[in-house]
Amino acid sequence: MTRSFMLLARIAGKHLLGRRRQTIVAVSGVAVGVGFFLAVSSLMVGSQRDFIATLVDAAPHIIISDEIRSPTPQPAFRAISGAVALHGYKVRSEARGIKDWQQIVIAAGRLPGAIVAPSLTGAVTLRLGGREEPLALVGIQPEIEAKISTIEKNLRVGRLHDLDTTQGGVIIGEELAHRLGLNVGDVVSATSARGDTRTLRVVGLFKRGRGQLGASSGYVLLREAQSLLGRPFIINAIGVKLLDPYAAQPVAARLEQRFGYKAQSWQERSADILSLLLTRNVIMYSVVSAILLVASFGIYTAVSTSVTDKRRDIAILRSMGFSERDLQLIFVMEGLALALAGVAMGWALGRVLMEILGSIPFPVAGETDHLPLDRSPLQYAIAAGASLGAGIVAAWLPARKAAQVDPVDILRGAA
Amino acid sequence: MTALLEARHLRRILLEDPPVTLVDDASLAIEPATFATIVGPSGCGKSSLLYLLGLLDRPTSGELWLGGVELDGLDGDARARIRLQQFGFVFQFHFLLPEFSALENVMLPMHRLGRLDGDEVRMRARDLLDAMGLGDKAAMTPNRLSGGERQRVAIARALANDPLLILSDEPTGNLDSRNSARVVEIFQMLAHEQGRAVICVTHDAGIAEMSDMRIEMLDGKVIEQRSPGLEI
Repeated sequence: MTRSFMLLARIAGKHLLGRRRQTIVAVSGVAVGVGFFLAVSSLMVGSQRDFIATLVDAAPHIIISDEIRSPTPQPAFRAISGAVALHGYKVRSEARGIKDWQQIVIAAGRLPGAIVAPSLTGAVTLRLGGREEPLALVGIQPEIEAKISTIEKNLRVGRLHDLDTTQGGVIIGEELAHRLGLNVGDVVSATSARGDTRTLRVVGLFKRGRGQLGASSGYVLLREAQSLLGRPFIINAIGVKLLDPYAAQPVAARLEQRFGYKAQSWQERSADILSLLLTRNVIMYSVVSAILLVASFGIYTAVSTSVTDKRRDIAILRSMGFSERDLQLIFVMEGLALALAGVAMGWALGRVLMEILGSIPFPVAGETDHLPLDRSPLQYAIAAGASLGAGIVAAWLPARKAAQVDPVDILRGAA
Repeated sequence: MTALLEARHLRRILLEDPPVTLVDDASLAIEPATFATIVGPSGCGKSSLLYLLGLLDRPTSGELWLGGVELDGLDGDARARIRLQQFGFVFQFHFLLPEFSALENVMLPMHRLGRLDGDEVRMRARDLLDAMGLGDKAAMTPNRLSGGERQRVAIARALANDPLLILSDEPTGNLDSRNSARVVEIFQMLAHEQGRAVICVTHDAGIAEMSDMRIEMLDGKVIEQRSPGLEI
């Protein structure tokens, strides 16, 4: 069985070697298809992964804020329910902020590997030499915040820990500092909406272009923010970082259900971007599959002409006692061999293209970086699988014709 | 003595419009160790009958028996198997595979059958080529061989799996008289010394005279079967 299989493979090989130009064209078609598939998909997948990583890491996976998605039931509704209509009810005014936030912090902290960071955000105005700039003041606990977000990494000057050691220390964005002419060590006055004014000292600057941090955000100690904003012991946001970022959505839903406060997962916050990524993937995979499909046309043509050229050989092999299946196998193997050679060359080409792409400098936010590429074996496997599949189908169609060749027609024609 | 190959009322009609009858009610019996010829004018159905006898074509009606077994109703694979093991074909245009050397061409059917191992196949192929006087041409590809040499390679290949029957369609049609004589000599040797049945379609009266059995056809019918030796 195996020996006769080897024999069929040898016949297939002889056919391909005998038609070198056709073979080279078909193989290069597949190689180019596979090569560009790898280059494009590694770039797309790589950039997507990089992008999602930024999305996931820049801010906590879940942010619980003091907003609610539906109004809290008023006490009267809680007390009386059923066939009673209430009119002209005066809505109880509540202080903003997350009530019983310590409980939420404890509950969230029990999640596996979770890090929980409470913070208070409020608007202040920075004043310096007659100029005013609005600032979203974020009160944080530096040692926890360092573990949950990427602020620390994005600091150009200073460290998060400096907030602890400097009285009234603030970390602001480079851009804002530039606009106000501030430098590390300079002082600036901050006025809250309530009119309280305090002097802050710049202890750190974060890099420009980091959208998630906000160009006009400023970080101070939590208690500093609470006192400046006049809201002692209050916080209005809790950030949660999970071990598995992809568990954020259900966890957020559970937290929201339990405590009533809006808990947004990173997926929810960036739903529009994620759907954009999906569209991008659909586009990429359709274009790239088209390339692979077109490459398989080359295999079809090569095998098809081989069948036509070898009709005499097919007739003699059939008369010799080769079965229809043997003949079909010969030509399918020709297609498979073309696809395999193409895949091997395409892998090499893809590798080279990736190296070229990877060496292109790619400036991000004023820093020279390189294009993010995904070099995982999965992409190679997908490219090979798709090409081999398309190749076999492309070869099988003409191979069926080869099996159907009636030797008598050929013999009669030639005799 | 049972016939090796027996045809009973074979008919082959091409279902065209109008239908063409290629072989009409042909009955014959071929015995082992016989060199038989099928003769007749062009288009009388000689080749068509040979294709039916060689299981290359299926009769429209009639029966075909091989060694006392009816072959009707066998599927394509089974018929291919019989061709591989028991039949050897030699055609007018030798039909060697151009990419393979003479030796490899002879080895092909043996490899397909897979009964012998690689060395045995090579050895047997060499012996067969030697017997055809082609020992020194084994490594050559068909395009470097003369017409007569190619035809002898084709005969060696037909003998590869030691078949009971050799079916041949105008084997000398393309050869000069010297090479033709040699082919006929070989066929006679295969029949008389090795006990095979050889069926040879030819329009060469000389060859027919040298055969043990002459089947004459006209318009698809077998009009006469006789054995020249017995006539005298």
